[in-house]
Amino acid sequence: MDLFSGFTRIDRRLIYLLLTLFVILPFFVKFRIPQNIMPQTKNLFEFIENLNPTSEKAVLLSIDYTPQTMPECHPMALSLLTHCFKKKIPVIGVSFDPQAPGLAIEAFNWVANKINSIARSSSDSIIYGRDYVYLGWKSGRIAALLEMGEKISNVFPKDYYNNYTDSLSLMKKIKNYRDISIAIILAAADYPQEWLMYAQARHGLKLGAGLTAVMAPKYYPFLQTGQLSGMISGMKGAAEYENLLLRYGYTETTGKAEIGMNSQTLVHLLIIGLIIIGNVGYLATKKKDKKMFKGTQPSRQKGRIS
Amino acid sequence: MKRKLPLGLCLLMGLLMMGQFFIPHPVSTKFNTLINKWVIVISAFALVLGIGNLSRHHIQIIQRSGPNRFYSLVTLLSMLGMAIIGIFFGIDEKSLYQKIFIHILTPLGATMFALLAYYMSSAAYRAFRARSIEAGLLLGSAFVVMIGFMPIGQLIHPIIPGLAEWLMKVPNMASQRGILFGVAFGAVATALKIILGIERSWLGGRD
Repeated sequence: MDLFSGFTRIDRRLIYLLLTLFVILPFFVKFRIPQNIMPQTKNLFEFIENLNPTSEKAVLLSIDYTPQTMPECHPMALSLLTHCFKKKIPVIGVSFDPQAPGLAIEAFNWVANKINSIARSSSDSIIYGRDYVYLGWKSGRIAALLEMGEKISNVFPKDYYNNYTDSLSLMKKIKNYRDISIAIILAAADYPQEWLMYAQARHGLKLGAGLTAVMAPKYYPFLQTGQLSGMISGMKGAAEYENLLLRYGYTETTGKAEIGMNSQTLVHLLIIGLIIIGNVGYLATKKKDKKMFKGTQPSRQKGRIS
Repeated sequence: MKRKLPLGLCLLMGLLMMGQFFIPHPVSTKFNTLINKWVIVISAFALVLGIGNLSRHHIQIIQRSGPNRFYSLVTLLSMLGMAIIGIFFGIDEKSLYQKIFIHILTPLGATMFALLAYYMSSAAYRAFRARSIEAGLLLGSAFVVMIGFMPIGQLIHPIIPGLAEWLMKVPNMASQRGILFGVAFGAVATALKIILGIERSWLGGRD
């Protein structure tokens, strides 16, 4: 077997081994690749940055990702919550995916505990019911989206912790979409489209999205029309948001997306390298085959085996 | 009557719901609110159906004593166990339910998804060949998007991220728009067919 032929037949076990090494390497060898911030991430960041905490309008976070897509979407949730909580913008959390509530309360608690661990007074702290509320999961997504435009507590009469929604101090000020400055949907499925069709088209609610890298290309048309005020796209978007938080002084370090992005970069380089090697081998062996079969087997030469 | 009543109801509700979308009168809004509440309640029945189907399917496998019956047993016991823990011991952040979810289900889900990366890298190496001009174009654009969206793309050449963004904003957006229009027209056509009683498969497949 010559070299070029070998290029086309790399053992899959070797590929798996290289992939494993490339994924775990950034967790042990620290290095930092500077992030170029995409305009859609910056737009969403600036939208929240320009919100007025005294306007008493909340940010609605629809946490709809699952454990499978957690590495991409969870850092987005943590960054968005950090941004809102540090700016003292109230947050309302909801979920329409049954697997999401466990991850949502983990995100809310992690960020709230982190901020509260360095808080000096009640006003510095993040308190459930006053600064944020998590309403939990609800079935019948489309109907719920439409109904929340009339009254949120009609859809969620009780929150995740079984408190009456109307009894929470934050929810006394937030009745429906008119009291929401932006709804950001963090999802690995097509949920933002329904928000666009029902919550925005009917109630004029401003929307943002945090999507997996696979889902993001589908939402570029909505970014161009301005129907989405911004979008965090995949782990790269999450790393960009972490960098923006660091740049604006909301955090002292970047988070998990930045480390994940280093692994992802190395893996992408590996895949690109493998594809190039595979193509070099393919083209070289194709040329060799053509030469070998010239004049002897015309059917094989044309790529057909009779 | 058995067929005409559901078809008539479907036509009436279809027309009413279509009409109320364009009429912002309080009566119309109230009607919409009522129907939305019904839809939320009816949607909850999907959960009951789901649990019923899952249970029946796995009970049948266990009864047949097939080689995979232990997996079915684990599925049923896990479902039942999580339901009991959640209903009787709560689902707040310090509960056993949340601990199982975060420390067992989440890593399992992430592992399943991570395995995809292995198959994808192997498949990309084997299948991504420039066999024709079209395949070459696809390969080229994939390289540009991959490199452009990596942080390292900026360091390789400052034009690459812009080029990747252009590919997403122009050729990708044009094709996505086409698909979206197609899906929207298809949905409108299907909705009209159902409202007008042309499409009747929802009645159980009988004419």
